Order: sequence, then C-alpha cells, then structure tokens
Amino acid sequence: MLKVEHIDACYGESKVISDLSFEVPKGKIVSLIGRNGVGKSTTLKSIMGLVKTPSGKIIFDGKDIIRIPTYERVKLGIGYVPQGRDIFPQMTVQENIELGLQPLGGKGKVPDYLYELFPILPKFAKRKGGDLSGGQQQQLAIARALAADPKIIILDEPTEGIQPSIIQDIGAAIRRINEWKGITVLLVEQYLDFVLENAEEIYVMEKGSVVFKGGRNENDHNEIRRLMTE
Amino acid sequence: MAQFISTLFNGLSLSSIILLTSIGLAVTFGLMRVINMAHGEFVMIGAYMTYVTQQIFAAVFPESVRDIYYIVSIPVAFGTAFLLGSLLERFVIQRLYGREIDSLLATWGISLILQQAARSIFGTQGVNVTAPSFLQGGVTVGGCTFSYNRIFIMFMVLLCLFIVWIIMYKSNFGKQMRAVMQNRPMAQCMGINSRKVDNITFALGSGLAGIAGCSVALLGSIDSTVGQSYIVNSFMAVVLGGVGKLAGTVLGSTIIGSASIFTENYTSSTIAKAIVLLIVIVFLQKRPQGLFVIKSRSLDE
Repeated sequence: MLKVEHIDACYGESKVISDLSFEVPKGKIVSLIGRNGVGKSTTLKSIMGLVKTPSGKIIFDGKDIIRIPTYERVKLGIGYVPQGRDIFPQMTVQENIELGLQPLGGKGKVPDYLYELFPILPKFAKRKGGDLSGGQQQQLAIARALAADPKIIILDEPTEGIQPSIIQDIGAAIRRINEWKGITVLLVEQYLDFVLENAEEIYVMEKGSVVFKGGRNENDHNEIRRLMTE
Repeated sequence: MAQFISTLFNGLSLSSIILLTSIGLAVTFGLMRVINMAHGEFVMIGAYMTYVTQQIFAAVFPESVRDIYYIVSIPVAFGTAFLLGSLLERFVIQRLYGREIDSLLATWGISLILQQAARSIFGTQGVNVTAPSFLQGGVTVGGCTFSYNRIFIMFMVLLCLFIVWIIMYKSNFGKQMRAVMQNRPMAQCMGINSRKVDNITFALGSGLAGIAGCSVALLGSIDSTVGQSYIVNSFMAVVLGGVGKLAGTVLGSTIIGSASIFTENYTSSTIAKAIVLLIVIVFLQKRPQGLFVIKSRSLDE
C-alpha cells in the first residue's frame, strides 16, 4: 500500500532523516515508534509533502508520489491527522468534518459510521472547533481525515496530551476503522503501551532511521520495550 | 441638522467606496501576508474601463441606449481587474508569500508601472465620464439633497458585500478560502489547492477594486493617480478593522470614511487627513491588532 524507500528529508538546511525505508502493507495497523526528536513527525510530513524530500521514493498504491503536491496526494486516498490536531479553530465542528470532503471536491456526505464512532461530534456540531478540549479535537481530527473514505489514515501522536479514558476510546476507534472499513493505519507514537496494544507491525526509529522491525509477539515486544526504555 | 444629515450621507458614500477597496486589501493581507501597494491601481483600471465602455457606446450605439453603458461597465471593470489581478498574482505576488517588506517594494513598483501605462494610453490629462441620465440629479427630503449617484453607489456596495459574504461563508470556495487563511499546511492536507485559492482570492479582491473604480468615475475626473487617494484610506480602514474578518473591514471603512468627511466639513481636507491619521495612530496604541481579530495559534506568532 505505502512504501517509503531511501528517503532523505530536510527542514530548511538541516537534514532530519536520511535513507529511511519502511513499508505499510494493505489493511494493517503499522506503527512507527521512537523517542522525541528522532524524526517520526518529519517522516509523516515527508509522506504528506510538507517538508523537502530531495531524494528517495514514496510509493503509494503503486505510484511514486514524492514529486506531486500535497493536495494531490490527499486526493489519492491519504487521510492525515497531524500532531497537535490542527483543527480549524474558527470553523464549527460540522464545517471541520465537512472539510474532510474536500478531496472529493467538497461534494458528498460525511459517512454515518463516523458519528457512531465518535458520538460527541454530532452533539457539538455547532460549536467552534477551537472551543473543544484536546480529546474532542483529536476525535474531530480523526473523523475529518476519514470523511472522504481514504485508503490509508496517518496519525501523528494521537495520544499526546489526552486523558487515559479518551486514549482507550481512540485506540478502540483506530482498531474499528481498520476492521470495519479495512482502512490501513500508519500510527506514529512514543506511548509504548498504546502501540503494543494496537499495532500489528512496529518499526522503531532512532536518529532518523529504522533500527528494528517487529511483529505482534512476545519476543519482539520485549525487544521493543528494551529499545524504548534503556 | 440638514447639513449634518447630508454630511453623514456623503460620509457613508465615501465609506462604501473605501469598503470595496478594503475588502481586497484585507483578504490579500489576511490570506497571503502580502501588502499590495498596487491595489489602488485596480481602482484606476476600473475607472478607466468605465470611461472606455462609455466611449465605445458613444461610438457604436444610438443615443437612446447609451445610458446603459454604465450598467455594462460594471462587469467590464470587474472582469478586467479580475483578469489582471489573476495575472499579477500568478507572475509576481506568488513569489512573495510571507515576505511582507519585499512585497511592499515589488507591488509599489508595479503600481508605478501601471500608473505610467495609464498615462501613456490615456494621456496625462484627466478624463470624465458622464453619469447616465437616470443617475443625474437627486431627491430632496426636508432640505437635504441625496444625489442619485451616491445612493446608487451605496446600494451597489451593499450588493457586492452581500455577494462576498455568500462566497465566503456559503460556498465551497469560501470554505476553502477560510481554511487556507486559518491554517495553510493543514488546508493542503485536506486536498485544497491553496495556490488556486490564493489566485482566485487575489483576483476577486482586484475585481472588487475595479468595481470601486466604476463608482469613483461617477464622482470626479479620472487620471492615473485616482486610485492613490482612496488607497491610503483603505489601508487605514484595514489596519483599524483588523485582518481576516469581514465585519472588521466594514466597521473600519465606515469609521474612516465618516471621520474623513466629518472633519473635512468642519475644517479643511488637509487637516481632516491629519486628524484621521492621528485617530488611527492613537487607536492602534491601545489596540494594535485592530477592532476584530481572529484568535488562533497561527496568527499569534
């Protein structure tokens, strides 16, 4: 589904990622985990085309997307939930979700299952996005990214600054969209337990490159724990 | 009392012209962080287009239908300014995003080029348009005369304002525009082509300035500097009103327009300019962000 091959990524003049490769198979929940500042968010921004990627390939659905602009990538079926949510603060909750329909040209309807998944959203439909709490904004951001029925959803630290009970809900929601709709998930996190509970494949990142790849078994989980805690 | 009302009336009609030019300025600054010094020249282009349309009508059509030239000139002025605005954005402004000082210099240069172009085409002498017969004269109520052309200008501006409001808050394009204004990278991640939004928004702002040019043409003679006299007031209106909200621009323009006419009425036009500027300076000491402000993280930086 999504294959990142030997990419470099830069912020201005400084190179943050060098020669990074990993793969997200169709229908899987894959996680990229690592400590602060190892380039996880930058990796996602490279996939979205928000940072400079001078070399490498990003293959999505068999097509190299590294040279096409951000808004065209989104139209191919990529939903993005950025770190810090980036809800449009002056727009209502409803308008924010409906913006998720823009990849389809702003037409169509928000799928009903999203309101089932996040029942608080219809309740707060008329409120300004900026007035919601962090957890509510996170749910709104996920719903917004799913509105156009993407093939893959990319989440950047969805648990950051959110209370534990909502984290449970978000974890459940991620698994459900994967099961119900078969949407592939790429999850970037530094919250280890959340990843071990939800991800099927896990890549550990250090200093801009992948140092370990593991699956859903005791040995791999122990190794990942060791890498993340030592 | 009669004098007060007619001053108020004149103030409002000036305000409405300022409003048309301010909307474009406010939106380009709010959306793209570009200060467009050439905006006044789109007023000039609109005014000259009115003149050109009149000349064409005078040459081609019989006397009886000549009056409708003015109605035709409005879409002509809008269209020309819209097209030139779109080209200007595409070839110059687009390269200056986020560089406020550079944009100031570059657009000032463009302003000079456009003024010189107007002088080369139409000569240094001012030209005049004749108001169509249905806009000549006025209605007198209780000792005050309200001229038809000023009434017409006000209604036209209200109509434009209504259309802008519909576009901004009811259309899909408006949704895209507001999203880009509030968070550009995230808007792109929603599949919005922000370049296209920038271009159309800039062109729309220029087109509105063109319509302002149509109304300016009714009020006095047209020369290459006609835009300049309005643009200073418009800049003040934008600064006063705050960036990013239609309501702020409306209020800012009303205050600047009325304040200029009122002080002018009781002093002289030079003193009036100084006084209005003083009001703006004092106000901005107290509230540098303007009357209305969008509260968001991206604008706090």
